[in-house]
Amino acid sequence: MSSALLWVVLPIAAGALMLLYRRKDDTPLYLALGLSAVLTWIAWQFPIDVVLQLGSVSFEITPTLVVLGRNFTLGETQRLLLTFMYAAQTFWLLGAFITRPGRLFPGLSLIAVGLFMAALAVQPFLYAALLLAAAVLVWVPLLVPAGRQPGRGVQRAIVFNLFAVPFILFTGWLLTGVEATPGNFGLVLRAGLLLALGFSFLLAVFPFHSWMPMLAQETHPYALGFLMFFLPSVSSLFLLSLIERYVWLRENPAVFQVLLAAGSLGVLLGGAWASQQRHLGRLLAFACMVATGGLLQAIGLGDATGLHTFFALLLPQAWVLWALSACLAVLARHTPSLQLEELGPALRQHPLLAFTSVAGLFALAGLPLLGPFAAHLAIWSGLGLQSVALLVLSLLGSLGLLAAGLRLLYAWLSAPAPAPQRGEPQARGDFANPYIWAFFIIWGVTLLGYGLLPSFLAPVQRLVLMFPQLLQ
Amino acid sequence: MSDFTGTFVVLLLLITALYMLVNQDWRWAIAALGIQYIWAFLLVIPSWPAELAVVKLVTGWIAATVLGLTRLNLPETPPASGSVPSGIAFRLLAAGLVVLLVLGAAPRLAEWSRAFDIYQAWGGLLLIGIGLMQIALRSGFFRSALGLLTLFAGFEILYAAVEASTLVTGLLAAVNLGIALVASYLLTAPTLEAEE
Repeated sequence: MSSALLWVVLPIAAGALMLLYRRKDDTPLYLALGLSAVLTWIAWQFPIDVVLQLGSVSFEITPTLVVLGRNFTLGETQRLLLTFMYAAQTFWLLGAFITRPGRLFPGLSLIAVGLFMAALAVQPFLYAALLLAAAVLVWVPLLVPAGRQPGRGVQRAIVFNLFAVPFILFTGWLLTGVEATPGNFGLVLRAGLLLALGFSFLLAVFPFHSWMPMLAQETHPYALGFLMFFLPSVSSLFLLSLIERYVWLRENPAVFQVLLAAGSLGVLLGGAWASQQRHLGRLLAFACMVATGGLLQAIGLGDATGLHTFFALLLPQAWVLWALSACLAVLARHTPSLQLEELGPALRQHPLLAFTSVAGLFALAGLPLLGPFAAHLAIWSGLGLQSVALLVLSLLGSLGLLAAGLRLLYAWLSAPAPAPQRGEPQARGDFANPYIWAFFIIWGVTLLGYGLLPSFLAPVQRLVLMFPQLLQ
Repeated sequence: MSDFTGTFVVLLLLITALYMLVNQDWRWAIAALGIQYIWAFLLVIPSWPAELAVVKLVTGWIAATVLGLTRLNLPETPPASGSVPSGIAFRLLAAGLVVLLVLGAAPRLAEWSRAFDIYQAWGGLLLIGIGLMQIALRSGFFRSALGLLTLFAGFEILYAAVEASTLVTGLLAAVNLGIALVASYLLTAPTLEAEE
């Protein structure tokens, strides 16, 4: 059995089958959760390309699947990434029990993660652009559920994400020319420009970010959070693969400077806009923009330092974005809108979720003692060595996000307690919900634990082994 | 492809793309999209064997059919009156600018790339430019989908000259069909029964 069959074809097929399930119960969610957990466990426990003996039965997970003459390869070095991706998917599915993003969520999330993994597996890897575009298209029914009027945000999201495809595919063709004649400056410049445009669309880098806040006002926060976590994460891994593969990119300092500048601009603008938002959905979108900016900054640091920082940031950010999306989704179910002015009673009724949201925003801003702080510190140190101006921009962005968190905290603490209505039972708050308690404690302890002891997840740093050239 | 045939096909491509950009009736727009794929197919033929190139034609026709059938089941919306003539004039002007740009850029692109001929460069760039205009100047998912399909048809004419992978052909076909299906879903979503 090949790894791509297991981690790409199987989830896509299972997800497609789950879409056929018509009853309105949680069976697909349980099935998807089970499958995702099993795939995580297999990725964690079973080495790829090694013959394994189970009693009298021997089997092997081969790394390559050939489809229409091209390879889909997921080797031993990517096993940890598979574990991370499917663990993340498992948590997103777990969160669906309380957030209720829609009946199609289990099936479509499996298909989307299968497509994301296919994007990371396909050789030549520039074809990944097509698979990422397909994943975005697949996600549309969750962004606009049946019975809802679609807004302009979803239209713009589709258009911008599809625009990335021609740029990246054409780059692939130009890159073969660049490899043959690396001294041809004109060719290198054209390839670089196409590549920059393609990834700007894919990573929603300024000024191509506008679909995120627009969409955030129209759609379920959890469905949007899923897309805004997986898409930039996989796209930035795709970008890392590209830099790893081509010497002219890897050894060109200008590439890393552009990445640092683009990332810092994303952090600055995301943070500045976040501080001005009164709608929590839009705030989530700008927080994601800051998170993506941070990933770009980490890659822009270059060499092994950048690579280590990238993965040190990716993991806690994943944890925070998941929790933030889940909290917003639950709050959205108890309030007419996510406008801060109308959110007060829901925040008072759900103090644990309110606290988690505030802590999540503080963590993304890089507040000490919280998960992503160690990675932020590495980025700030690296930025300081290269450009003080970029460091200042980055810190201003973080301050903006911090201000957004403080504003949410103020909205929560200053909201009047909901008055009990005569004759109506008291609404069930967070404190009476054991699932919310469990979520809150596990999430908080993990975030704080990772912030205090960054070596806690040191084994995960083996993810850098996927990029041996960059690591040198 | 002879000079006469090449020029003729590019002209036909321009007419269908322009017609889609300016017209108000969705039925004729769908018909123009279907016909546009024939001309695009003829421009892919010099690069690919006909049996592979026909995939693009069939995919395009299926996408056009999906959009047409969806639109057929939706209530007719009368075109906004008053602004129509100026809208058409503006769109034609914008398309004229695209044509001028393409006339200048295509020969240099063909010469520089050495992968596609001048007719493929003209056809591909024209469709990309007019597709972009369609997305930017027309509102609604239906028109956006037409624009995206036109843009991708143009891109595929150029890309076919540099890449003949069966997997990419299949994935591009899937993306084209995906655009049509998603547009179809978005057009009908408000009329579907809500989940809860």
